[in-house]
Amino acid sequence: MAALTRLLESSWTRVVIGVAIGVVLVLLPLSSPAFTNQTITRIAVFAVAVLGLNIIMGYAGQVMLGQIFFVGVGAYAAAITVRSDWGAALGFWGVVAAFVLAVLVPGVMGLLVALAAARLRGLAIAMVTIALPIVGVPVAKRLSDITGGSQGISARVFGAPEWTGLDNDQWQYYVVMTIAAVVFALAFFLVRGKYGRAFAIVKENEAVAASMGISPYRYKVLAFTIAAMFGGVAGFLYIAAIQFTSPETLSFGHSIELVIATIVGGAGSIVGSILGGIYYVLVPQLTNAVNPNATAVVQGVIVLVVLFVLPGGLASLPRAIRRLVRRKRGPDVAGPAATERRTPEGITPGAGDALPPRENEERQNR
Amino acid sequence: MSTLRRRALGLAAIAGVAALVLTACGRDGGTPAPEDTDGDAEVVASPGITDDNLLFGISTPLTGATAGPGNCTADGAIAYFGTKNAEGGIEFGDGVTRTIEIRKYDDEYNPERSAANFQQMVADGVFAAGIGLGTPTNRAWRDAAIEEEVPQVLVMTGDPLFNDREESPWQLGLVPIYQQEGAAFGEVLAASTEDHKVAILFQNDDYGQGYVEGFKEAIEGAGNIEIVGELTYEPSAPSLEGQITELSATGADVLFHAVSVVPRAIENLQKAQSLGWFPSWFLPSNTASPGGVLTPGGAVAADGALVYPGIYAVSFSAAAASPPFQESEEGQAYFAAIEEYTENDGFSFPHCVWSWIAAQILEQAFMEMEEPTRESFMAALLAIDGFEAQFLLPGGSINTTTDGLPAVQDVVLQSFNGRGYANVESFGG
Repeated sequence: MAALTRLLESSWTRVVIGVAIGVVLVLLPLSSPAFTNQTITRIAVFAVAVLGLNIIMGYAGQVMLGQIFFVGVGAYAAAITVRSDWGAALGFWGVVAAFVLAVLVPGVMGLLVALAAARLRGLAIAMVTIALPIVGVPVAKRLSDITGGSQGISARVFGAPEWTGLDNDQWQYYVVMTIAAVVFALAFFLVRGKYGRAFAIVKENEAVAASMGISPYRYKVLAFTIAAMFGGVAGFLYIAAIQFTSPETLSFGHSIELVIATIVGGAGSIVGSILGGIYYVLVPQLTNAVNPNATAVVQGVIVLVVLFVLPGGLASLPRAIRRLVRRKRGPDVAGPAATERRTPEGITPGAGDALPPRENEERQNR
Repeated sequence: MSTLRRRALGLAAIAGVAALVLTACGRDGGTPAPEDTDGDAEVVASPGITDDNLLFGISTPLTGATAGPGNCTADGAIAYFGTKNAEGGIEFGDGVTRTIEIRKYDDEYNPERSAANFQQMVADGVFAAGIGLGTPTNRAWRDAAIEEEVPQVLVMTGDPLFNDREESPWQLGLVPIYQQEGAAFGEVLAASTEDHKVAILFQNDDYGQGYVEGFKEAIEGAGNIEIVGELTYEPSAPSLEGQITELSATGADVLFHAVSVVPRAIENLQKAQSLGWFPSWFLPSNTASPGGVLTPGGAVAADGALVYPGIYAVSFSAAAASPPFQESEEGQAYFAAIEEYTENDGFSFPHCVWSWIAAQILEQAFMEMEEPTRESFMAALLAIDGFEAQFLLPGGSINTTTDGLPAVQDVVLQSFNGRGYANVESFGG
């Protein structure tokens, strides 16, 4: 057990596991059925949306209930660009332009909203963010000349180019996974650097942050804008994977589903964002296979179970298991035979100290 | 060998093994391999159909705000084919008798979910899909269905796109499009012997515009009709009392009320009479329910008299809640099947009956398709003419051969008589 723990905690093992997962993800779509690729692609789309939400909610501690609005605006920006005459004329660069606009437009909107909203705290900021999808749906219906009205618009331009020799689902997989990987890497470094520490302090206590020379207002605006931009990226990926969007996409209910996915996955955790995406996509898919009428009930049960058993979300599962194992080993430790088997890690008192450095950092951010 | 190099080698080995394992797996294309059903090498059966079974997928809202009508869209067909399967199945046009398996998928009225459901349906190997409720949710996988050549048929949306045979070669709508309903009223009004002043209130989207478009086309050139006022509203508007007040000032004797929001329809029925304005009303089929709209709207006075000179709506199917339906032999068979194969009551939403009608249309296509292929199925489906399905209104029949129109082409104008709706031939009649 101890050897295994030590092995798992060695950074080399982590690198090996990481590389192995990476290789599997790169090679998987070549051999797996189309539906598997499509499912993983959709997971990546919503993992990015949840990641954006995690930046503002999990790391900076501001309640944000309007994330789907930015996803929807990003999706519209991408779809409208690739469908426009100039976007089509540009070919590949039209898609690049679609990506840039899908990030910039929600980013600017997020910035403008944040400049006003970040002056507020707690529930007040939540109320402002609720307004976004509530306003977004009728506006998207109203601007039917560019949004296609309530019927929505489809944008099927993300087929595999000839030269790749790939099927459409494989191409979409690679496009979406590549962009998602870059976004996750950016987020990883963001929350572990200077900004991540600043977010954590703003989250804990704004007065303390201000006394340390960290402007809570500025960092809240920053986190809000980043969340909106990540939402926009997710919107672009949404168009790449789903190839259709409509006002229904940005309805308030879906925004709450994203918040729930964040909590189930694990707020304030990068891995939790991926788990949140998996929850968002896989649960309805599995209930479809078992009992399609049970979607809402199953989702509700999962949320309750996670809140009761793993308040830190699914991402905290390994930590919870480790704690459980240690507690079980507790009586053994008292016995004389067990003393011999005790490892240096086991002797160290205090649960937190035995955790690997990365986990520690996450705990502090909580 | 240094630890560093050994570890690097180990890493490379793991990556290599993973690569080999994955590439060796091969890819089967994601859909079940087509089976050769009759030994005839020339006809290769489409996915989802065997010598004794056909799989049909329905993606519709089964949970969430639209779950009521959504469940009905699946349950009518499940009940119908449940009965047929119990009788041994349906004899197809190729002489083989097959049972029909309906598999339902929950899309929660979310286009993203319905697009995902389509991918899941393809993976599950459905022969065809459809009957599901909703415009954006059906639009979300329309292109994908065309690309994969999977029929997406008898969908319950008033969106005309699904009936454009050129644009939507693998699609067909079931229910009348908005224009048809508006036109049905316009035609009867244009045939009236009296002069009419019409006020129009419509929802500012494809729904309201569709109704108005159909209405205006039908009254074009009619000398007895004058449109005296035309106002719009947004679906999210909290009240339309301002519009009703403004329209009442026009003195119109007919109000074309293309409003889809039930609470607004109720309030407007109350508001107009409080203003002392008593026009004849045209109501869209989804805001015309006697119990859900007209009674709370005060359209019937305490003594049972009608408050307005006329309330008109359009329908194409018999109401399962009406006594004649429940007393008829067909109606009793319908309720018995609903009871046995679903958990629905079968009458709270008309979609249950519509789904039952859709199942009958599917059966017609199955009985005519000569090869176990999707192409043959679509050809058979789009060639149905004059099929008198159960529960259509008297005189109505199914015709799938007209480009631009759904399977249900005959809509009937009805007027409210205080309890339910009855067919009318002429305005005021």
